[in-house]
Amino acid sequence: MWELDSQTLITVLTILGATIGIVLGCIVPAIMEGIAVQKALDGIARQPDAANDLRTTLLISMALLESTAIYVLLVILVLLFANPILDRFF
Amino acid sequence: MEAVIPDVVFKIFGLAITETVVSTWVMMALIIGGALLVRKFKPAAGEFIIEFVNSIVGSVMPEGIVVSKYIAILGSLAVYLLFANIFSIFPLMLSPTANINTTIALSVVVFFAVHIYGILEKGLWGYIKDFANPIFILPLEIVSQFSRTLSLSVRLFGNILSTDLIVAIVFSLVPFILPLPLAALGMLTGVLQAYIYTVLASLYIASAVEIQEMEQERRNLKREISQST
Repeated sequence: MWELDSQTLITVLTILGATIGIVLGCIVPAIMEGIAVQKALDGIARQPDAANDLRTTLLISMALLESTAIYVLLVILVLLFANPILDRFF
Repeated sequence: MEAVIPDVVFKIFGLAITETVVSTWVMMALIIGGALLVRKFKPAAGEFIIEFVNSIVGSVMPEGIVVSKYIAILGSLAVYLLFANIFSIFPLMLSPTANINTTIALSVVVFFAVHIYGILEKGLWGYIKDFANPIFILPLEIVSQFSRTLSLSVRLFGNILSTDLIVAIVFSLVPFILPLPLAALGMLTGVLQAYIYTVLASLYIASAVEIQEMEQERRNLKREISQST
């Protein structure tokens, strides 16, 4: 196998982990937001009078759902730009 | 790296003044100038902004709460965020909210505002009694107070920073026309996040100020209405 020093190994593993993490962390909230929009549109199509209430609730819940993806992004930014494990080697 | 952590422009007495602070000063000058102009000429646009903030807050707060008492802090939040979230479209400027220190400071302001308004409205003992009602929910309530402050700040920071980063990355690859739609998307996200932050802050203040008996009355009224129809 390859002979890597530990710093390179940690960098490679960090980049791999960040990529896999952001992919998973984007897929799941996107699916859930799709479900929320689908239900809200069903509700609006059935009862157009309730469209205003539904829109406000939908916007707030979309923001709450999206914040999980933002947490993933935050962790990955810390991993890429301010890695606490890599700092020990410098 | 330079996108996430802003550069230090100069130092006053060893206190580092970053680009974020300079952008905030420019923004403050713009907002104060705009406010003075609005006060002097009273244009229709100023009235429109005030009506907009009033309708946002009024749509979230339940009936029976005097909205005009809280319009000062919530309206200031809305105007500040509206400017701050889209401020990176000006050349040489950064969005102040793309720095986590700004958003944490804003969320701490909202945290203290919620409790101070609650205590002012109900008195100290009444507020604590409503806060721990029933008593075994108290630990959950305390944890939720801190987690909502954290999630408010991190949501705003992550959204604004991510759109700014996307524009910066695409700009470094293709610096022609292609970043424009992404910058437009970033402005849309910024306006939406300002709206959501204001709505959530007013929801939290409303939930602290709302008196339990009032809620009970409202429930009774709803039941009567549903029975009569």
